[in-house]
Amino acid sequence: MDNTERIIDFPAFLASMAHDMKNSLSMLLNTLDEVVSTCTSEKCPSHRHLSQMQYEATRVNFNLIQLLTLYKMDHDQFSINISHYPISEIIEEIILQNKPLLDFKGIEIFTECPDDLTWFMDSNLISGVINNILNNAYRYASNKILIRANEKNGWLVLSIEDDGQGYPEEMLGTDVQKGRGVSFKTGSTGLGLFFTSMVARLHKNKGREGFISISNGGEYGGGCFTITLP
Amino acid sequence: MALEYKHKKVLIVDDFSSFRRLMVRMLESLGAKDIDDAYSGDNAISKMQGKAYDIVLCDYNLGNDKKDGQQILEEAKHRGLLRYASIFVMLTAENTMPMVMGAVEYQPDDYLIKPITKDMLTRRLEKIMQRKSDFQDIENAVRSKEYIRAITMCDERAKDNPKYMLEYLRMKSDLCITTGRYDEAVAVFEEVLSMREISWAKMGMGKVHFQKGEYVKAKDLFEAVLNDNKTYMEAYDWLAKALQELGALEDAQKVLLTATGISPKAILRHQAIGDISSKIGDYDAAAVAFKSAIAIGKHSCFKSPSYYTGLARTMIKKDSSDEALQVLNSARHEFKGNREALFQTASMEGIVYKGMDRKEDARKAIQEATRLLEKLSGKVPVEATMDLARVCFDLGEKEQGMQFIQNIVRNNHDNDNVLEMVQGVFKDAQLENEGAKIIAITKNEVIQLNNQGVRLIEEGKLKDAIEYFEKAADGLPENKIINANAAQALIMYMQKNGTNEKYTTLASKYLDRIKSIDPSYDKYQKLLNMYEKVAGAYKGRDE
Repeated sequence: MDNTERIIDFPAFLASMAHDMKNSLSMLLNTLDEVVSTCTSEKCPSHRHLSQMQYEATRVNFNLIQLLTLYKMDHDQFSINISHYPISEIIEEIILQNKPLLDFKGIEIFTECPDDLTWFMDSNLISGVINNILNNAYRYASNKILIRANEKNGWLVLSIEDDGQGYPEEMLGTDVQKGRGVSFKTGSTGLGLFFTSMVARLHKNKGREGFISISNGGEYGGGCFTITLP
Repeated sequence: MALEYKHKKVLIVDDFSSFRRLMVRMLESLGAKDIDDAYSGDNAISKMQGKAYDIVLCDYNLGNDKKDGQQILEEAKHRGLLRYASIFVMLTAENTMPMVMGAVEYQPDDYLIKPITKDMLTRRLEKIMQRKSDFQDIENAVRSKEYIRAITMCDERAKDNPKYMLEYLRMKSDLCITTGRYDEAVAVFEEVLSMREISWAKMGMGKVHFQKGEYVKAKDLFEAVLNDNKTYMEAYDWLAKALQELGALEDAQKVLLTATGISPKAILRHQAIGDISSKIGDYDAAAVAFKSAIAIGKHSCFKSPSYYTGLARTMIKKDSSDEALQVLNSARHEFKGNREALFQTASMEGIVYKGMDRKEDARKAIQEATRLLEKLSGKVPVEATMDLARVCFDLGEKEQGMQFIQNIVRNNHDNDNVLEMVQGVFKDAQLENEGAKIIAITKNEVIQLNNQGVRLIEEGKLKDAIEYFEKAADGLPENKIINANAAQALIMYMQKNGTNEKYTTLASKYLDRIKSIDPSYDKYQKLLNMYEKVAGAYKGRDE
């Protein structure tokens, strides 16, 4: 393989393909949005299907974002863009994005975050991480999700808990930091964790770097994802 | 802050018609009535020239080899097509690249990643409005040049509103740098960096070191910024500047070439590559760079005759004088009616003809340049004038050459760098002794001119001093000392006799000139302080 000449630069091809797909997907999502808004659940029998479509399209969109971001990181074209943000506003915005879907499934979302909590981060990356986790929670939670943020010993601890069945036993024991041990066969959960741990590690300050962890239990007894940032 | 869309003028820029239609529907559903759309950069600019939009939603990627959203924003700001209250939001498909590409002064109000939902759009637009109104009075203070008051306001806000502390600190550091308060700026950067290794703070710190002539320290910081952040484009430009000051021209060229690989449309960077490449004798690279600058500049408001003269100069070095003349000829077409550009073109033609030994044509070109120079008001390009003087000396038109040189010396009598360059021209023309004398005499003339005005001020004849310096400053618009004294006479008069609009406007004009010549000039800050007090009193504020 090493000595044969490649016909195409596959990663670059994949990246520009993904970019193109994302454009189409944006249109699809926006159009769906319009259709859904004209079709409330009581009157419209297709509402349930439309919501399912929205959910799946959103998943594809997140996956493409991850794919493109990882491609850029791998090709030195990625730059983290750190600024200072009020955490409550970031969470509010994410809930706004996810609420229609969560409402539809009857999942209630709670937040616990001090009003004056601010932190340094790349807001796009961190929003991407939370969106990703919420998207999974949508699938696994029964009816409650809690987003919790606070400061502990100079770290920002941000966790998302649900009341579902929790992470499978074999995932808990693995080293989620490196994405190793995560069987790519388990699907997007593993890929998603790989991405989120990359994002966490990109956040560095004064010799410390961010990390993620997963556990079961928490407030609602389900899965609990935590990202901790310096 | 709920936003009323009914009377808002909205422009949507995207190359996909389906997306434009979608955004139009979204805005309509929010209540907007006056919505236009544009399919390309040029289309967008021409619409913005015809209507002052309140909200512009612009896609970043408008197709290969087309103007991108960042270029549209830069052009719109440069041409004054966006008011302070106007909102410009950049829409991107997925990438965060454009966010760190542009310089601070050309940042959009926000970035939104597609797909864009109605809720998200309204939320962001409302937040932008809120931020604009929070910053409104600081912005007003800056516009009426009350920088010190603006800085105080930033301090207060940062304390009162810790959520947006960083934005206020950044604004403060910018203000400190534009007014030459480097030590205060450093204090802000240190404060920020003690919290977090933020790129703009490191960048700012590097710029201050650069201004102070501490090029090694500056270089290290710019390198550190790039180490964290490979798409922080401004850092490449400053790193190259620092390397140039340190004499590492080859390295500077390499740095800029790397930057161009990442962001190929930055016209000024191509010019910088052209200049550096010429200096190190890499004429192939110089030709490529100037040609790129010309090609990008064709449809940009940033086009400049110096790309053409740079290319012509390179062509001379490559022994293709005919091509050089062709380049200059196309510059003539491109800059019809633009005296400064034509002056530069004619000067360069003189140089080319002289090199071709076409003395008569060279003389004609110089005559044209001379005529144009006399009509040029304001900024006289030092390097082009020096080139012109060189040709004159070579052709034996000594007197003419001397005149050009005197013009330069008069406007820069306190600038040792320029005087040294002038001395170099004399040396090449083997007029070293005579030249030194001319420089000394001319310099002395300006000093005498200045002293006479200062005496009027000291004698309290402020009205006379104002008149005197007004004339002097009009003759020497690039001379910072003369312009500073012109401002001082006006301010002192107003301190004594009260403020009036004519004088505040005039003083502000001189202050602007000093700022563009040398913002670190210590007298500039003193004058700014004095000016703020009288101008503030004029507005009826009790300061």
